[in-house]
Amino acid sequence: MTINVSNYMMQTVKSSVQIALSFTLLLVTNFGLHAEELSLDNSNTTNVTNNEVTKTVRDIIDQANLASYYAGNDGSAEARIIIVDENGNRQMRQFTILRKDVQDLGDQNMLVFFSQPSNVKDTVFRVEKQLKGDDNRWLFLPALDLVKRISAGDKRTSFVGSHFYYEDVSGRNPKEDNFTLVSEDKTNYTITAKPKDQNSVEFSSYTVKINKQNFLPTETIYFDQSNQAIRQMTVLQVQDIDGIPTVMKSRITNLSNNSYTEMQFRNVKYNLGLPDNIFSERSMRTPPKAWLE
Amino acid sequence: MSANNENNDDWADAWVEAPPPSPWQLTGFVEAAYGQFLQSNVVKDGASLNELRARINLDYSHKFFEASGKLDSYYDAVLAKTIFQTRELSISASPFSFVDIKAGRQVLTWGTGDYLFVNDLFAKDWQSFFSGRADEYLKAPSNSLRSNWFYKEVNFTLVWTPEFTPDNYITGERFSFYSPQAQQIVAPANAFTVDKTSQAQWSARLKTRIKAVEFSLYGYRGFWPTPMGSKVQVENQAYFPKLNSWGVSALAPFKGGIVNIEYASYNSIEDTHGNNDRIANGQHRLLIGYEHELAKNFTASMQYYLERTKNYQAWLENSANPEQLVAENRHLLTLRLSYRAQKQTLLYSIFTFYSPSDKDGYIKPSVNYQYNDQWLLSAGANVFFGEQEYSFFGQHQDNSNAWLRARYQY
Repeated sequence: MTINVSNYMMQTVKSSVQIALSFTLLLVTNFGLHAEELSLDNSNTTNVTNNEVTKTVRDIIDQANLASYYAGNDGSAEARIIIVDENGNRQMRQFTILRKDVQDLGDQNMLVFFSQPSNVKDTVFRVEKQLKGDDNRWLFLPALDLVKRISAGDKRTSFVGSHFYYEDVSGRNPKEDNFTLVSEDKTNYTITAKPKDQNSVEFSSYTVKINKQNFLPTETIYFDQSNQAIRQMTVLQVQDIDGIPTVMKSRITNLSNNSYTEMQFRNVKYNLGLPDNIFSERSMRTPPKAWLE
Repeated sequence: MSANNENNDDWADAWVEAPPPSPWQLTGFVEAAYGQFLQSNVVKDGASLNELRARINLDYSHKFFEASGKLDSYYDAVLAKTIFQTRELSISASPFSFVDIKAGRQVLTWGTGDYLFVNDLFAKDWQSFFSGRADEYLKAPSNSLRSNWFYKEVNFTLVWTPEFTPDNYITGERFSFYSPQAQQIVAPANAFTVDKTSQAQWSARLKTRIKAVEFSLYGYRGFWPTPMGSKVQVENQAYFPKLNSWGVSALAPFKGGIVNIEYASYNSIEDTHGNNDRIANGQHRLLIGYEHELAKNFTASMQYYLERTKNYQAWLENSANPEQLVAENRHLLTLRLSYRAQKQTLLYSIFTFYSPSDKDGYIKPSVNYQYNDQWLLSAGANVFFGEQEYSFFGQHQDNSNAWLRARYQY
């Protein structure tokens, strides 16, 4: 899967489309949504009464994870987030994302190029998402010409000051929760998840509705220890992009004060054939223009 | 504003209609800054910082290149003059698939330290650092040609600065310092004259990554970035002696944090044996650091730094004031604590330097509040302490100051 650098560049100039198709990588566009990374592993099926149900829950969760974070082999999208605090004050961030999957439901590489507001313009955030270990993260600060390695950190901290956590953007590791299928109707599965390590998160459980047709989670509500709803993710708009149902607009609300962040996408593209080597320090200083248009 | 929740969709939909992207982009800010010494100082002005600044950033994007200009114009009431400063005026391009070039005025940085520089000998602006200007001003621009070469996982960077660019060091214009000649704290009103060479400096780095670990090898050929020498023949005139260096660094994730280690060997080639009291000796510089997020939004980082003077005995024997020399091993510890609150709009930070060998230190607390996308308010202090008035930080005790800044970004 590694591509010779010079090779890639020459080909790109000629025809990016062809190359794109020849790679198996996946891109992410969808990741804007919160991470209902529901996933199961064998160990947490013990409390489930029957194997058939178990299998179903796991399938749903895997499919939801795929639909939310691993659509296509790779992807690009323009995104903006609008942060609205409890007093109605707004802040905005605009950025372009490039994503490529190393493996479906596995590791991913991601680049986030900020364009607005002016105080974050040309800042670049780079992540290597690793399921078996801490993510690798870097930040490029253009004013200092500095590429700073940043520690993996708490994944449930705010992504650029928004109500979205890092985990909402890049996906919560499915192995961190136990899942139960609570109910299903014509359109949705309703699944409850409990974190295996209560101390690692600010909620004690969450309930997610997953659309039966496209397996996109459409609503997630997080509850605290006293079973009060504290945080809610709602999908506001889904659009079909190249046959892939894609969340174009979603919102996370802090239910304690009704402050919220809305995340919106446009110009979503899948299966571009992003070369592996653009997910590098080089791209942080010199953004790969050909893939950002 | 109360209708935000309901009417959110209006402007959200509007965003879908992308305006045609322009190749030109204009951004910038206007900033007022004021700082004051916390005690009497021998400098002329009681203010350490007093300026009104306008920044214009103009970028142009072409299919084959990027052009970037960053111009600062400000009225500096401490120096009582208007200053125009080009922080960047550069063109970047990738003439071949394996090379990126950036030519022109630019800011350059590398190495693994936090406020400590081991292999990074690019120009710094210590006056800005001491006065409470934004962090970006710690790095001074230079007119350079940077080429970045890529081969698989290996990156080679070569920077040519045709005319040596020194630091903006402490001159007495804005801050006082200890003069070993005068044996006291001085602040010459007219900055002391320094003989500046116009020769070139070269910086190189070879960097690669093996799994999660980043390794770098560095080389430098140029001059000490501060005037570490004085000429006998010209009335003690200060100048920048030649300096060559090489070094290495490694950086890796470790136990949920980031660990870094960096070493450099400074060869002061005009005084290889260390017996010339007028020229700084070579040094070994070693840095070990660790950063870790202790709690949500609360990060701590520590560094241990060693500056070991080469040929110390020779220096001691030839020194006019041996009792005031820095120890052979100058140890320095730093601790940075930072806490982000209110959706990361409020940043509390404190950075502390402490040297057990010099028995001195420097504390830099600050608060930054991003009120909205336009307004940034900051306040902080630079507090120096030490037992001796000739030690590295001790000489700056009277320079201790507190500052405020308000910036409007557009």
